[in-house]
Parts: sequence; C-alpha cells; structure tokens
Amino acid sequence: MKWSLRGLFPYVIPLVFVVALFFAFRMGSLPPADFTFSNGTEIQSVDPAKSTGAPEGRIIDAIFEGLYRKLPDPTSPDDMVPLPGMAKSHDLSEDLKTYTFHMREGAKWTNGEPVTAYDWTFSWMRFLHPESGTQYAYQLWYIKNAKRYTTGDLKEGDRVEVELADRKDKAQMFPRGTMVSGIVKKIDTFEEGGKQSSGGHDEEEAIKYHVYTVDCVPEKDGEPDWDGPVKQRVFYTEGTPAKYLTKFPGAEAAMHVLLHFSEVGIKAPDEKTLIVELEAPTPYFLELASFYPMHPVNRTCVETFGYPDWTKPENIVTCGPYQIKERRIRDRIRLTKNPTYWNADEVSLETIDALAVQSDTTQLNMFMSGQMEWATVVPNSVLDQLRERDVDKKEDPERKEERDDLLIAPMLSTYFYRVNTKRPPLDDPRVRQALNLAINKQEIVDHVTRGGQIPAGSLVPPGITGYEGPVTQSYNPERARELLAEAGFGPGGKKMRPIQILYNTSEGHKSIAEVIQQQWKKNLHIDVQLRNVEWGVYLTTQREMDYDVCRAGWIGDYPDPNTFLDMFITDGENNETGWSNPEYDKLIEEARSEPDPEKRMKIMQDAEQLLVDQMPILPVYFYVSINMVRPYVKNFYPNLQDLHPLHILEIDEEQREKIREMEGLK
Amino acid sequence: MIRFLLKRLMWMVITMWVVFTISFYLMWTVSPEGALLSERQLPAAIKRNLEQYYDLDKPLTTRYFKVMGNYLMLNPGPSMKLIDKSVFEILKEGLPISVSLGVLGLSFALLIGFGTGIVSALRRQSLIDVSFRMIATLGIAIPNFVLAGFAIIIFVFTLNWFPAGGWGRPIDLVLPSLCLAAPFAAYISRLTRTGMLEVLGQDYIRTAYAKGLMPTTVVLKHAFRGAILPVVSYLGPATAGILTGSLVLERIFFIPGLGSHFIEAVLQKDHPVSLAVVMVYTFVLFSMNTLVDLSYGLIDPRVKLDK
Repeated sequence: MKWSLRGLFPYVIPLVFVVALFFAFRMGSLPPADFTFSNGTEIQSVDPAKSTGAPEGRIIDAIFEGLYRKLPDPTSPDDMVPLPGMAKSHDLSEDLKTYTFHMREGAKWTNGEPVTAYDWTFSWMRFLHPESGTQYAYQLWYIKNAKRYTTGDLKEGDRVEVELADRKDKAQMFPRGTMVSGIVKKIDTFEEGGKQSSGGHDEEEAIKYHVYTVDCVPEKDGEPDWDGPVKQRVFYTEGTPAKYLTKFPGAEAAMHVLLHFSEVGIKAPDEKTLIVELEAPTPYFLELASFYPMHPVNRTCVETFGYPDWTKPENIVTCGPYQIKERRIRDRIRLTKNPTYWNADEVSLETIDALAVQSDTTQLNMFMSGQMEWATVVPNSVLDQLRERDVDKKEDPERKEERDDLLIAPMLSTYFYRVNTKRPPLDDPRVRQALNLAINKQEIVDHVTRGGQIPAGSLVPPGITGYEGPVTQSYNPERARELLAEAGFGPGGKKMRPIQILYNTSEGHKSIAEVIQQQWKKNLHIDVQLRNVEWGVYLTTQREMDYDVCRAGWIGDYPDPNTFLDMFITDGENNETGWSNPEYDKLIEEARSEPDPEKRMKIMQDAEQLLVDQMPILPVYFYVSINMVRPYVKNFYPNLQDLHPLHILEIDEEQREKIREMEGLK
Repeated sequence: MIRFLLKRLMWMVITMWVVFTISFYLMWTVSPEGALLSERQLPAAIKRNLEQYYDLDKPLTTRYFKVMGNYLMLNPGPSMKLIDKSVFEILKEGLPISVSLGVLGLSFALLIGFGTGIVSALRRQSLIDVSFRMIATLGIAIPNFVLAGFAIIIFVFTLNWFPAGGWGRPIDLVLPSLCLAAPFAAYISRLTRTGMLEVLGQDYIRTAYAKGLMPTTVVLKHAFRGAILPVVSYLGPATAGILTGSLVLERIFFIPGLGSHFIEAVLQKDHPVSLAVVMVYTFVLFSMNTLVDLSYGLIDPRVKLDK
C-alpha cells in the first residue's frame, strides 16, 4: 500500500487542482452587465408579500409593477411622486374613501397572460391571508375589513369563507382546498391555559380554540348565493384537541375560517377595473399602492409551482421592466430587460447586475476599481476623503461639469433616544426637556456622524410636502439647568440618580452615546452609564422597557408624518416608552379621518408639538442617504426615500469611456 | 484497518450529535426569535402568524427532535432569512466555491512551499535562505485577512493588476487563493527545508551524486521524496484549516462561498443555516483528521492503527 499513496501523490494534486479550477470557472460564464451596482445584503425573497428591506425593494420594483409606481416628478426630479403603472388612471370618490383604478390595456405577464384587476384581488388576498405570514400586512389594513381578514377576528353573523382541509399539498397555500361560504351562527371558544412555548421562552399563555357553526350557502355562477338555502355545518381549525370536539359529532376539519373576502374592500367588477374601499380617507394611499410589497403576483405561476419554487428564475412570471435571468446566493442577481413590458421602449439598460456585497469596504474597493457603477453603502470613516476626491476632481477643467460621485441627500429617517417615561425621575417632562436641551446635536453631526446629517429638534424629518414641523428648541444648557432646578434637582435640590443609556453594539452608536454622556455630565452634572448589549438583547430590553434612555431609529414607510407619529399612540406596538397622552391619541385619530389635507397636516403638526413638549423621545439627528454613483449614470436623483428605479437609469457611453480612461481603469 | 474506520465512524456520529445538540440549544436559547427579530415591532396577529409559519410556537424540544429527524434525512429545511432558498440549496451553491478556493489555495501553498523550501535547503545560510525564512515567519504570523488588505492596496489600487472582488473569472481567483495560501505556504516551506536538510546529509544522496547523476535529478527524485513525509502528514490539518479558514477572506473578496454564508447567517440569526454550516465544518474537520491518521499508517508501517 505504501507505494500507492506516495506514488500517486504527484499526480493526485494536479488532478484535484484542475477539478477545482473547473468548478471555479463554471461561475464565470456570465458576460459583464451594462450596469452593475451593489445591493447591500442578499435579498430575503423576491416574493413581494414576504419581503421587507430596501435591497428587496430595488429588485422587486424592477421585476414587478404595482398599480402606481414612484418615479421622479418630471418637473422637479428630486421629488418622487406616484405615477401610473399597471393602472393608467384612478378616480377618487367624494368622501375620499373609494379609489377606482382603471387598468392599463395591453400590459402582459411574461407568460403571455394579460395583467388584469383580478391579479390584484388575488395578490392582495394572498398578501392579507394569515398563512402568508406577511410582515407588511398592516400596510393594507387601511382597506375596509382587511385587518379582520388577516387577524381572523370573527363575530356571530359574519359572512365567512371556510377552506376545508383537503389541499393536495398541505404546505402549499395555493391551489386552495375546497372553499365553502356561509354565515357564522355560533362560535364556541375553548381556552387552554398552560405551559406554552413561544420561541423557546416558556410562558403562561392561554391558547384559544374555536369551533364554528356555520350556515353554509350554495354557490351560484361561482359566487356565493347569500339568499340561497342554507345547510348547517360545524368546522374546527386543524390542531384543535379531540377532547373539545366530542360535543360536535359532525365537525369537519378546516384549514382556515376567515371573514369572507367579498367583505373586504377590494373588488374587481371586470378585468379592467379595480375598486378599493378604505376604512377612512388615506391621503397617502397611492404611495402604498406603489409600495413594492403590494405588487401583484401571477396566480397561474404561484399555483403551478407553489412557494418557494415559483420564485426560481426558471419558473417566475413577472410583469415589470426586468426579468430575473440568474440568481446566485450572496453573489449576484442578473436582470435582463423584459421585452414584453408595456413601456419597454423607454427602458435603456439591457442587463443589470445586483451584487450582494456584504462588506462596506469591499463595496467601496469595487466601486473605486471600476467594478461597479453604484455603491449603496459607504463606510462612514472615509466620507471626508471621498468629499475631497470630488473637490479635486473638479479642479481638472475637463471634469468641471461632472456630477459628484458622492451623493448625500436628506432621508425620511430619524435617529433618536427613547426615554422610559415610567421611571422616575424621567417621568417628569421637565427632566426630559432638560435632557434634550443639554444635547449639543450640532457637535454630534459635525464630529461623530460626519455625513452631513441634520440635527433634529423633533421626530418627523423635514421635506415632506405640505408638512411643516412644530417649533423646536435648540441646544441651551442654561435653560436645561433651570428646568432641572424647577423639577427639584441640582444645586439646592435632590441629586439626580445616574442615568443609563442603552444601545446595541456598534461603533457609531457608542460614539454618540459617549458624546451625550459627556454633555449631560458637563451641562447637567448627571452621571451617565453606558450599557452596550447585543442586538437581540437590545430589542428585548427595549420591548420590556428595562432601560432609562435607549437608542432608536425609524425609517418612514411613506412620505407622511403619520408613519412617524402614530408610533407613539398609547400602547402602540412601537411606542416602547410607556408614554401615553389621551390628547395625542385623539389628534392622531382625528387626523386619520380628516378629509381636508391642509387641516390634516395642521392636526399632525399639533400632535408633534405635543410630542416635542412632552419629549418621550430625544431626537438626535435626521439621517441622510449616502450613495456613490459614477457621473456617467444618468437619471439618478437623490430623494427623501432613497428610491432609485433601475429602469429609468441610462449610461452615457461617451462619458463613461472618458472617465474610465482618466481614472486609469481597465 | 476496517475496525479502525468503524470505530472512527462511531466517534464521528457521536461528535456530530453532540455538536448538533449544543449548537441547536445555544442558538435558540440565546436568540429565540431567530431571524424574525426586528427593530420594528409587528402587530401581535402578524407576529403570531409568522411564528406559526416557522414553528416557533412549538416547544424547543419538539423542534429539536423534528430538526434532528430532518438532518438524518439530509434535509435541513428552509432558511429563515433567505426564505426563497432551502438550507440545502445554500450549501450546494456555497460549498463547491469554498472547496475550489481551498484547493487552489492548497495548490499554491504546496507550489510556493516546496519551491522556497528546496531552494532554502540547497542555499543554506545564504541571503536567499535567510530572506525566505524571514518571509515565512511573517507569513505564519500575519493573519490572512490583514495580508488581504495589503494585497488589495498593492495589487488592486497601485498596480491595477487584479479586480478588487468577485469570483468566476480566472483573474478573480489569484489574489484570494494567494492570501489564503500564504500562512500554509510558509509552514510547508519550513517543513520542506528541514526535511531536505536532513535527507541531503544521508549516505544515499552522496551515493547518487557519486554515480554521476544530474544534481536536479538527485534533488527532485531522491532527496525530495524522502523530505516531504512531514509535509504529507501536515496536509490533513492544512486541508481542514484551509477549508474552514476562508471565512473572512471570502467576505473581503466578495466570494459567495460557505464562509460568507456562515458569517451572514450568524449575524442575521439565520439559525438553520448557521447550524448546517457548523455541521459541515464538523464533518470536514473530523474526516480530515481521520484521513491523516490513516495516511500515517499507510506511509509508516511502524504505526499500528488498531492499537
């Protein structure tokens, strides 16, 4: 045996080497794309209903298209406005609650089917369905009864749809099992108190089981005939223990018992018309209708392949300007132009590569060495050098007219500190005011974040059309000390206990917390402890309100103050400060049903004024979006939501050659 | 030999089970919500639906047995973050890339290591020998990701020879495999040099020279074969090290290998993927160590495996 191993050794190694090279080169088969950009982290999904982040948004916006689409305003390209997409126009009713969308003629899916209003009734039903596990489902809860459809919240007398447990494949939502419509006669609820595990934590939590007695109605022409002869049947949802079912001998298993979808305000009377009925006037509904999670999916495709197979590049059916040609995990997504897109003539780039570069530094390296045209994340530490680079560039007379590579623009996003208003002495608004006045925010944006961020006096970032923020106070240590004295602290009063700042581990958060620590010490003589915890612990601690002051951030979902302000209503999911103010709740509620946009903004402003007076949060700064883009990429406009539709981008070939030559890129 | 292998196999099963159990419980106790964890609190109803979707509403022990069953059938289930993909698909795309990167690195390491080692031994105490040895010491001391930073500054930005990142084109492979190879090349170089020095002093080498053989023949055919024994036994740990050591390099050079997936999965708390990669690494380490023990027996008849 000895000879074999030693004898073979010199031959085995080259052989393995060749095999490895073969594997490695197999990846390099793609020709370079017309346009390459880094898309941040790998996308979670291309299924609109299952996606949440900005990288997902860029891809989904490119391959699908909603009723409307956010595009640069033709008259002032730095503003994004919803423009007709798959709907060519819409009508709004007098009471501002009913939107009627008129679908575009001739728009097609990539499998040849026409895009119709029925695609939305299906997609939005799927979007709202509890089994989809849609994180953004609440964005459509503005639609009448949509929330009840998602939550399965039923009353006796409701019209319901029952999906029997007879699906071909239980794990696949579509095609669905037999659907039965009816009216709920009786709901029997059984509670099982006991040990219930939720995500590894054992907690006491009652599980509720429901048994529904339903008067089922027959179907006529595919629609339930609500006045038809009824037949009483009893349904229970799968998983209900047998002991509760003994009383119901004929009970049938059902996958879901939900509010009947015809009760939800999404209707398609014919294939060219979609009627959406809202709970209350929602001035930003068009923004939502153009938001990527609300894009339609193709029913045939979803039902044929099931999730997740329908998302594979070889199966997926899309309707947007681009198609997915190839998708390699944590490498790239290759997009190619969709020739059947209704506006394909206006789409200039044939192929686009979206790279999933995880490391910011690598991203910058690849941008600088000419491997990509657009870097979506730029490391903070080099911002100054990049600015200088742009200044140097312009000294060359030939390049004076060029756009900067580094594009910084205000963004709809705020960095703030939550204050635990349940803990003394922070329960006193004067103390919170004092803490706010004693933070020199200018210093933080100038010396710590350094990206041109804007010091924040309130929660809602500037730049929302039609909205003006409340009057805010700037850095004023004198006034802060007075307020603190009024509250009974400081010289002559009690000594303030040490305050703890909670933040999740990150160099940036740490530097900011340290600056604030010093400023409070210097200005108010308050001892501040820093508590740095891992992301998961940070979130739980914040949720359980086991903190004094805690770092936070919020990105607006749509350009309206409501996306920020409704966070702090009493017991709001994201309130997490314990702050509760009936007047504030009333104002937010009032704004919700106010049809006059101007009055509505005024109410919002009053609400924010209240928030600023009470200071359950300490605003620190408004974020900016930072992008590095080669100047030869045209139609790239910095904007509030950092949205840059791919299909309108163009490349100036001549300038591209010139720049690459000047920078010595191969 | 069969008995040895069977015994090893049994130990492998036990080790993998222990690693699986510890990793599973650690991950899910430290962050019980996994990738669902988000700064944005979801409405309770939506959260419940999501937890149901990922089985998070079931007790941990139930899930443990379920996941273990899935692993026994080699089907680790879906990823929790990249929800369109199954864990298996992620491994299937990532592993070949990491393995080919590793093999390229290993080949470079052998090539450079043998070359410099032989030259060092033949020109003992000369300037070349001293500088090679110094570089080798540096190579062992400097971690590959630090080396990568310097390599990028020099070869990407100053000389403009290679791209800054990516994988697939021949030119993409050079920098990452060289950086990965460096510490191993240095080690192999030192082993070769020592081995050569020992062999070159032997009687049979003198005989070979005395027969009038060409010096190249003597060095490559007679001396080199005897000298690489220690290197062969080092190959096992080196292979394991090179396969599992490319984590950070993959991130720096934007290579979609197993290491990139591992780092991201850990950061994003995508427990199903982290767990699977941990299992793959365990398997690789264990089988490489077994191979080394096996090769000892094959190379040196004095070693008895069954004892």
